Amino acid sequence: MKVIVIGGGWSGCSAAITAKKAGAEVALFEKTDMLLGLGNVGGIMRNNGRYTASEEIIALGAGDLIHLTDKNSRHKNIDFPGHKHAWLYDVNKIEPAVGKYLEAMDIEVNLVTRVVDVEKEGDRIKGIYLSDGKYIEADVFVETTGSTGPMGNCLKYGNGCSMCVLRCPAYGPRVSISYRAGIEDLKGEREEDVYGAFSGSCKLAKESLSDDVIKELDETGVVVLKIPEEDVNLDKLRLKVCQQYALKEFAENIILLDTGHAKLMTSYYPLDKLRKIKGLENAKYIDPYAGGKGNSIRYLSVAPRTNSLKVIGLDNLFCAGEKAGLFVGHTEAIVTGALAGHNAVRNYLGMPLLMLPRSLSVGDIIAYVNEKMNSKEGRTNRYTFAGSEYFNRMEEMGLYTLDINKIKGKVEKLNLTNIFNEILI
Amino acid sequence: MPQPCPCRLAETGDCILCSQLAGKNFCDCCNFNGVCIYQDYASNNYKAKKGRKYYNCKILKKSKFEENIIIFTLEASDKLVSELVHAGSYVFARRPDTETIFDTPISIMDTDTRNNTITIAIELKGSKTKALDVLNQGDLMVVKAPFWNGILGVKNINSAQNSKCLIVARGIGQAPMIPPLKHLYTNNNEIIVVLDNSPYKNSFVNEYLERYASKVIECNTIFRGRITEEFNNILDDLICNNDISLVHCDAADILNYELMKAIEDKNKSIKYSCCNNAKMCCGEGVCGCCTRKNNDRKLRRLCKMQTEPKYIFEGRRIF
Repeated sequence: MKVIVIGGGWSGCSAAITAKKAGAEVALFEKTDMLLGLGNVGGIMRNNGRYTASEEIIALGAGDLIHLTDKNSRHKNIDFPGHKHAWLYDVNKIEPAVGKYLEAMDIEVNLVTRVVDVEKEGDRIKGIYLSDGKYIEADVFVETTGSTGPMGNCLKYGNGCSMCVLRCPAYGPRVSISYRAGIEDLKGEREEDVYGAFSGSCKLAKESLSDDVIKELDETGVVVLKIPEEDVNLDKLRLKVCQQYALKEFAENIILLDTGHAKLMTSYYPLDKLRKIKGLENAKYIDPYAGGKGNSIRYLSVAPRTNSLKVIGLDNLFCAGEKAGLFVGHTEAIVTGALAGHNAVRNYLGMPLLMLPRSLSVGDIIAYVNEKMNSKEGRTNRYTFAGSEYFNRMEEMGLYTLDINKIKGKVEKLNLTNIFNEILI
Repeated sequence: MPQPCPCRLAETGDCILCSQLAGKNFCDCCNFNGVCIYQDYASNNYKAKKGRKYYNCKILKKSKFEENIIIFTLEASDKLVSELVHAGSYVFARRPDTETIFDTPISIMDTDTRNNTITIAIELKGSKTKALDVLNQGDLMVVKAPFWNGILGVKNINSAQNSKCLIVARGIGQAPMIPPLKHLYTNNNEIIVVLDNSPYKNSFVNEYLERYASKVIECNTIFRGRITEEFNNILDDLICNNDISLVHCDAADILNYELMKAIEDKNKSIKYSCCNNAKMCCGEGVCGCCTRKNNDRKLRRLCKMQTEPKYIFEGRRIF
């Protein structure tokens, strides 16, 4: 049986891996020339509740990508305001590492290949159309196209195309596959009736920073610089996707993290103001290139789905990552991707679909976000193991732990150890 | 993306490509052509760009073919000629002393970028075409241009390389055949042409055929709305003995459609394109003359909307 994964970000790669492990022939389609999408400018792993989630997914048998980010980390166990024990992967090394891993697993990866439409038969998707008109059939489909962009959305709901790593003008726009298949997209709101949210961070060329800043970044992974009082803008926090970083400290300070580039923890920041800050006098953006003006707009394309990540209204389409809810982060993408890829194979075999139990944070977040999508208030929030509403919930519910053996034991008790490693076909 | 995007259709929420400019609030960009039209619309202060211009083109040569066809060679600017070189290009032509209701859509037969000329062939049909017959060498002709959607399935022509192609042309269809013929030839394709001169006795494109076609077969292609046995046998022979990857047809819609079905029957993997015969008045998607709704209820503005022939011919409503 054949599974087609549409979108090569973290969740798409994760779905491809679990579908392959379960025994499917897997073809992945990515519109740009690189896997990982926004993961190429991300880097933060294992901070706060993400540590627990990472260990849970490892125990469940889908730790492949977590092991890769761990292996490619520049800094381990660092703290920065509001965040503890973060690991920062090197964004300049991770993409080829993931590409090689998929290749070794014999997953067919099609880069610079954009999916633009589907062919349906009743409520089943029969095949996909590529932008060049080519038509390809499969048994089950996983949509991980994300919710970022394209240019028209970034313009209508943001400050215009800021030339982010997705490079829509060059590789073409994201097309919502579920929408093409007749399922209306749900939309996140950043405040009452204002749709979408800005991506939450930028990347500065590390070489453009002062020697002191570079040294501190290399040694500790974190630099905190004070913003001149006249430039502090608390309002901007409301615009952000990443509510775990929408803290007062992030408005009053420039926080830089070393991910190979210097990750600037703010949606966008005018270059002239940025250069007023000591150490950043010559700073230069490398993602988005127009980080002085804006950032990409996200969360305008969420598919209605079950807790097994099947898209409601279609028999053989699964979704993961931001497509599956108002999730933030790589870990969240990897977790949902793993479940979607695995369930794609179960769906084909007519087996009951796997739902991760709510006693695990990875199961709870999937169900919790689904509940939240039903309310207007819920749609103005974003959900991550790393902070804000959902991390608070993890702590309250006792889901947050750093004890790896405890996590292993919990998964074992649920009889789910290595479930994602099981060959189904 | 064609240069005049965004056009007036954007202002009224009727854009044929961009969902944001077609009454929706979010991108559903499955027709991306290289730039974001919505972005261009915003940078143009949420206004359409200016429509096509009228040019006064001097008639350098006029010749008549078998009483009913006139062929004009017109002088045009370097820019205009360069915009009309693509297969499927067309213009609206009229006499300077007539009103815009006399604008008549005419395919480009040939362009010459060295001498900056365009050649058009016109079959004298009704009042608009007959009005042009009054003009002579040295006179001016008013030309509104450039337009590009003269071929349905044009991407099949643009993507053909190092292959064998078949072009079928009948009557005045021999004129719009020339740009695809030249384009395919330039891309190292071998081209076999099936030529049906009717209702004329001879062909007016012999010099092009000699230069660009590897083989020319003359025959009667259609009789009483059906492909003739003679033509069908020729098709069978060509398809069996040649690895044909593209068939292009320049004829009336009845032949365009019958041939499309015949080719699909014989070999599904052969790509197909044909001339766009929609009646047109403005070419800007506004007049409504070229709109067509098939049984999928999707409104098609054929002066602009590029699509495969099957989406035009199949599911057609009788009225």
